[in-house]
Amino acid sequence: MKTKQYIFYFISLFFILSATAQDNDQVEFTVKLSKEKLGLNERLKVEFSTNKDGDNFTTPNFKDFTILMGPSTSISRSWINGKRKFSLTYTYILQPNKQGKITINQATITIAGKVYKSEVKTVEVTAAVTNPNAPPSASDIASENLHLVAEVSKGNPYLNEAVTVVYKLYVSPDIQVSGFQAIDNPKYNNFWSQDMPVTKYTTQEGTYNGKSYRYVILKRVVLYPQKTGNLPLEPLSLDVQVQVPTQRRDFFGGAVYAQTNQRVSAGSKSLTVKALPEEGKPASFTGAVGNFNFFVTTSKTHLNASESLQAKVEISGKGNLKLFQLPQLNLPSSLEVYEPEHDEKISTNYSGMEGKVSDSYTVVPAYKGKYPVPSISFSYFNPKTEKYHTLNSQEVVINVIQGPSNNVTNSTIVEGSVKKAVETSGEQFSFIKTKTNLTAIGSNYFFKSTSYYLWLLLPLLFIPIAILFSKKREALARDVVGNKVKKANRLARKYLSAAKKTLGKKEAFYIALEKALHNYLKAKLKIETSEFSKDKISTLLLEKEVDTSTIEGFLFLLRNCEMARYSPFSNVQMQQDYTKAGEVISQMDKQL
Amino acid sequence: MRKALFILVLLISYFGFSQNETLFQKATTAYNDGKYDEAITDYLKIIANGKHSPELYFNLGNAYYKLNKVAPSIYYYEKALLLNPNDVELKNNLAYAKNMTLDAIENLPETNFKSMYKKVTGYYTFDQWAYINIALILLFVIAYISFRNFHSATKKRISFIGSLTCLFLSLLAMIAAYLNYSDYKQKKPAIVFEEESIVQAEPNNRSQEVFRLHEGTKVYVLDNLNDWYKIKLADGKSGWISSNDIKLIKN
Repeated sequence: MKTKQYIFYFISLFFILSATAQDNDQVEFTVKLSKEKLGLNERLKVEFSTNKDGDNFTTPNFKDFTILMGPSTSISRSWINGKRKFSLTYTYILQPNKQGKITINQATITIAGKVYKSEVKTVEVTAAVTNPNAPPSASDIASENLHLVAEVSKGNPYLNEAVTVVYKLYVSPDIQVSGFQAIDNPKYNNFWSQDMPVTKYTTQEGTYNGKSYRYVILKRVVLYPQKTGNLPLEPLSLDVQVQVPTQRRDFFGGAVYAQTNQRVSAGSKSLTVKALPEEGKPASFTGAVGNFNFFVTTSKTHLNASESLQAKVEISGKGNLKLFQLPQLNLPSSLEVYEPEHDEKISTNYSGMEGKVSDSYTVVPAYKGKYPVPSISFSYFNPKTEKYHTLNSQEVVINVIQGPSNNVTNSTIVEGSVKKAVETSGEQFSFIKTKTNLTAIGSNYFFKSTSYYLWLLLPLLFIPIAILFSKKREALARDVVGNKVKKANRLARKYLSAAKKTLGKKEAFYIALEKALHNYLKAKLKIETSEFSKDKISTLLLEKEVDTSTIEGFLFLLRNCEMARYSPFSNVQMQQDYTKAGEVISQMDKQL
Repeated sequence: MRKALFILVLLISYFGFSQNETLFQKATTAYNDGKYDEAITDYLKIIANGKHSPELYFNLGNAYYKLNKVAPSIYYYEKALLLNPNDVELKNNLAYAKNMTLDAIENLPETNFKSMYKKVTGYYTFDQWAYINIALILLFVIAYISFRNFHSATKKRISFIGSLTCLFLSLLAMIAAYLNYSDYKQKKPAIVFEEESIVQAEPNNRSQEVFRLHEGTKVYVLDNLNDWYKIKLADGKSGWISSNDIKLIKN
């Protein structure tokens, strides 16, 4: 029971599969005209064909035509590689009745219960031709079957945006091309152009105006518009040698080909070039359009003086790489910089230039120190985003470690010295100072201040004062008598000071007085105390030519001193003796 | 009451002084540890407190140099140089900082006499010259008075010659101070702070560009109008620059 069920399932599955396999082929119902343009006295063949068997074929109403023949039905079946092919064709031969455009309406057919309709076609009927139904001339066929087309990638590019123009020669399968020659190569004025030479002409399949053609790319050019506005492109003209089949047949039944030269030209085209927007245009913009990367690199960052390094400004990406200037590198003036070496690695392809351009600067620092390579900026316009972009390079600091310093030049090298000196690598960058004496900011300057003038003038004032002072002293010195008196007084004061203190006390006073007198003599005559007798004193004084009255006075005083020890003396007497002593001493001093 | 106030003021000023000292020490430590930013903040605080010194400006210049900031570095070195014109270390580091500048400006050639004159008068600041002047005047007075008072002929001769020399030198010092002072008053140096700044022919934005200057270049201000300074370079070129682009060294 169960096996029966399985068999049933299997069989039903097989049928379903085969049914779907048959239905896989799409139903096609097409119309084909022998000509699209014909003279009034020519004939037109119309074929309606389908790949499935159908019923109820209804012809359109050929109201502007006379049906000369038809419908004639033909059916063809074929099996190719196990695939069934079927075609059912209804053919009409028509003669137009009027000039102008005539529409051929839809025909309908019912296939498997569904109604299919054909396309609507139009034919152009011209005035009667002289030679109706005669085979067309070779050049007519050639011109119909040969087209040169310039394809422009973008009709309204921006200034400096890459535009590709591709020249294609379309050749219909009916004719053969044996060679061609460019007559007129366009000059692309107002464009920067780069030709991408086609080395090998390869035939490709394509369609042109809805018909299948073979085509060959003849020329490819990348253009960079250098001017805004409407710029015409000069057309490319070719002289093509073609082989066109004729109606005649050769001995073996093959078509005889006629050779003709056909001139084709790509229609003149024009581009509308848009100016770059002014809005947001960066200052560093130099006309780069595309999409770029921007780098500034140095080969080293640490080096010794007089070694060299390479600083490289590089722009890579896609765009008009050859058409703008690279930003210049700004290097410290204390570095020795040579002219940059320009390098381009650009390949041009279908979408424009691609690659990198670089300027490499050779830099030789002469002195030790730090040298910044400041950031530089590069701007470009990206036509895709329709915006300006600015790229800034990274700031690089070059550190020159060893070498002479810029400010000190007094380095003397002693050659041939045996002793090894402690080597210093030039003048170093000095460390900060650790001690300071802070003063108030904006403190007044000393120069031109009042204290400055005072300090300047007061010492000068001191000079006249000093002069006056010394003059007075000199005057005093010149007054001899007064001077001497003064001197004597001073002497007396010196020797009699002890006596003066004891004035009033009799014994002490006279002892002091005597001592003072002796002292005086000792100092003046340079005699010893033991030699003190009155005779001796008087002779000595006489020898010194002191006058007698003074000697008398002196001796009298000495005698008084001795006497006073044994006899009463009044205070008045004491005072007298004191003044007398002063007088005697001063008198004696004058004479000594 | 008054006395208390006076003491208070004294205390505050003393406190302020010590605070600045500690700031300075702190900054020195920070600098040595490589924290140049901190050092700069501390140094600037001292300046904000109204104190300065050539060493302070020197250290600030050093810290900015370490941070690769050309313009402030040169600015503070120049400020230090105004206070102390013959410091070897200062000149050395200034040369390092000047290496970083982009503009090559050659000094106008000077006559021998002028360069000599500049060397001599510029050796000290005018205040230092003034102090030298005063000291020499004092010496002159002393020598002259002693000349008047000496009795011996040789002593008299020596002191007379000495006094005359002192007087002559003090006059020279006074002249040097005066010239230096007038020079100082007349010259207004400034440093370009903007990375690139355009010098115009006229003090407005419409006029033509004369040349461009870069960060750290020293210029001399001659005149000003609204927001523009007329500047002159050491090589004699002149033009107008926006006042925002430069910073005057003298306040």
